Amino acid sequence: MFKRKKMKHKLSILGFALLGCLLTVSLIMLPGSAEARNIKVGIIDCYSGPAAVYGIDALNGFKLALSEINKKGVLGKKIEWTKRDTKFKVDLALNMAKELVMREDVDVIVGTINSGAAMAVSEAIAKKEKVPFITWISKSERITGEKGHRYVFSCGENTAMAGKAGGVALSKKPYIKYWIAGDDYEYGHAIANAAWRNLKANKPEVQKIGESWWKPGEPDLVPYITAILAAKPDAVIFCTGGRSMTNIMKAVKATGMAEKVPIWIHSATDHAVLKPLGAEAPEGVLGTIDYHFYYPDIKANRDFVKKFEAAYGNPPGFPAFHGYITAYFIAEAFKKAGSLDKEKFIDALEGMKIQSPVGEIEMRVCDHQVVLPMYLGVTKREVGKNFVIATDIVTLPGDEVMPTCDEIKKARGK
Amino acid sequence: MDFVQTITLSALCSHLLVGLSRAMILFVVTSGMSFVLGVLRVPNVAHGSLYMIGAFAAFSISNLFGGGSTGFWLALILSPFVVALVSLIAERSLFCHLYEREHLMLLLFTFALMLILGDLVKMVWGADYRSIMAPEYFRGSVTLFDAPFPRYNLFLLVMGPLVAVGLWLFSNKTKIGKIARAAAVDREMVGAIGINVSWVFAFAFVLGCFLAGLGGALVAPTVSITIGMDHDIIIEAFLIVTIGGLGNMWGAMVGSLIFGITQSFGILFLPQFAIVFPYLAVVIILIWRPTGILKSVW
Repeated sequence: MFKRKKMKHKLSILGFALLGCLLTVSLIMLPGSAEARNIKVGIIDCYSGPAAVYGIDALNGFKLALSEINKKGVLGKKIEWTKRDTKFKVDLALNMAKELVMREDVDVIVGTINSGAAMAVSEAIAKKEKVPFITWISKSERITGEKGHRYVFSCGENTAMAGKAGGVALSKKPYIKYWIAGDDYEYGHAIANAAWRNLKANKPEVQKIGESWWKPGEPDLVPYITAILAAKPDAVIFCTGGRSMTNIMKAVKATGMAEKVPIWIHSATDHAVLKPLGAEAPEGVLGTIDYHFYYPDIKANRDFVKKFEAAYGNPPGFPAFHGYITAYFIAEAFKKAGSLDKEKFIDALEGMKIQSPVGEIEMRVCDHQVVLPMYLGVTKREVGKNFVIATDIVTLPGDEVMPTCDEIKKARGK
Repeated sequence: MDFVQTITLSALCSHLLVGLSRAMILFVVTSGMSFVLGVLRVPNVAHGSLYMIGAFAAFSISNLFGGGSTGFWLALILSPFVVALVSLIAERSLFCHLYEREHLMLLLFTFALMLILGDLVKMVWGADYRSIMAPEYFRGSVTLFDAPFPRYNLFLLVMGPLVAVGLWLFSNKTKIGKIARAAAVDREMVGAIGINVSWVFAFAFVLGCFLAGLGGALVAPTVSITIGMDHDIIIEAFLIVTIGGLGNMWGAMVGSLIFGITQSFGILFLPQFAIVFPYLAVVIILIWRPTGILKSVW
């Protein structure tokens, strides 16, 4: 009896020792295997529901860039990607980002259109797990502003940039009484605040005579427009995004609002908004956006558009442009870092400059926000085109529409 | 605030009209849902998906016939039939086996169907935003009560009552309508007198879904046609049929009017909090009359 117990004890010790050896060997092997594998990018974005149109466009731009990058490779490896559908939900985005880090062991996380989800992933995953996270469509200025940190980057314009572009442009107009209306969520309020802050700073005499907010995607915006017109403002700032853009443009057209009062809507000149409306889109609406497939009319942009159209059958929107530059930033940063080390990757990405379809762009060191020019234009139908485009485009350089590094430090309480 | 001074009689009249036109779209969709609820006792969560399919079908049919006036009218006429066909397949293959199940089971089943139909729509039409144009004579606006009122909304104001009268005539003046009403009250008795209840139910289901498709086709020129439209409408539709009285067609009309008009007036009076008004109205009505304003057939 005693011998049997002793034997069992010996076997247990032997078992534990064997397990320990296996673990040690696997731990020794692990860094080596990480270096031997490809670079892995985990994408969290919305691929179902109304926002899918933006998520798919960004993914297509990213895939196009990778098809070019992977021909030569990066550090002798290829860049692989895996995606997760967040369905525009913050909790899903968090769970999926965690799964990508823990199970898929991704080197970089990329996404998403939902600003709330981007901020949650930035705080709870990127910052906590020390994994680089690059946002490509979400526009809240808080992501790289007051909530920014070492592990989060943005490859798209944000509400501070759009608001400043709109606010400064409107301050040069003779309007005094404004009405602000838009989607009642993070993006809508962020862009309203940024536009009003800049407008007020540049022209203190302006007055806000009213505000109205609707649920994102509200189908019937005619009553809102009727109420706004009854208040007789000098100009209106609409802060809408996604499918609300098409709805507001339709309501503006149906009521003839653009002929009665000047309107500024960030992304009113976006092709994704104007294309489905065809000739039905309202003319004379002032809009801003950071990418047009037809502007700037330079070789780099023409080549990008040609390749994108050949691959996907339609011209790239601003999300595709963001996806495209994100892939190039990732590739160039890993090349510069010389390894898959995440900290080295971040050091390399800070201040990095790359050539893009719109010219040279930079990832600013102080806030990890890409410096992109903004294009201010007016919607107009041109002969020979069956959709409305932006005309009279004025290019606002990125560093002029972005908050200064001192303002970023102040926002972060430093 | 300056805008308070703008609440004039003409502004009130203008917003009443705008609210009525919104209510008409809601009525067309919810009347179908209420009909299905009344006759079949099926809380069809997938009703919103059929409304979405109606809008997408309208887009495809309009494009097929080159847009314009012909495309619009053919889309308006044919897309409800496309939805009716989809619903007939669903009814004969799935729903007809489930009528005797518990409501919770039916809710879960129709919710699953909504998700499946949502994905099917994405596979067929993609994720891009779509839009169709109303005919030239419905575009632009007319000035009513010193405010611009879209011409298309005038058309909606006509279509709502037409659908209501059509449904009333069908329910009260046709044999199949009377049988459907009888089945809503006592389905066993209808079966006992030798009527094929299964086909009556199929007809009622298809008719309800036809109206969802018609609602989708009617709303198509005014909104962005996109995946996710189903989620937007279904919550409002359920609230409307609940406050109106479950399964009561006129209840759907009353509920739609309350929803549309409170929303429109809310925008005029307190635009910052306009979202809350229709839901506040729902809460007050449900406290006042938990079974709905008109008699529920449940």
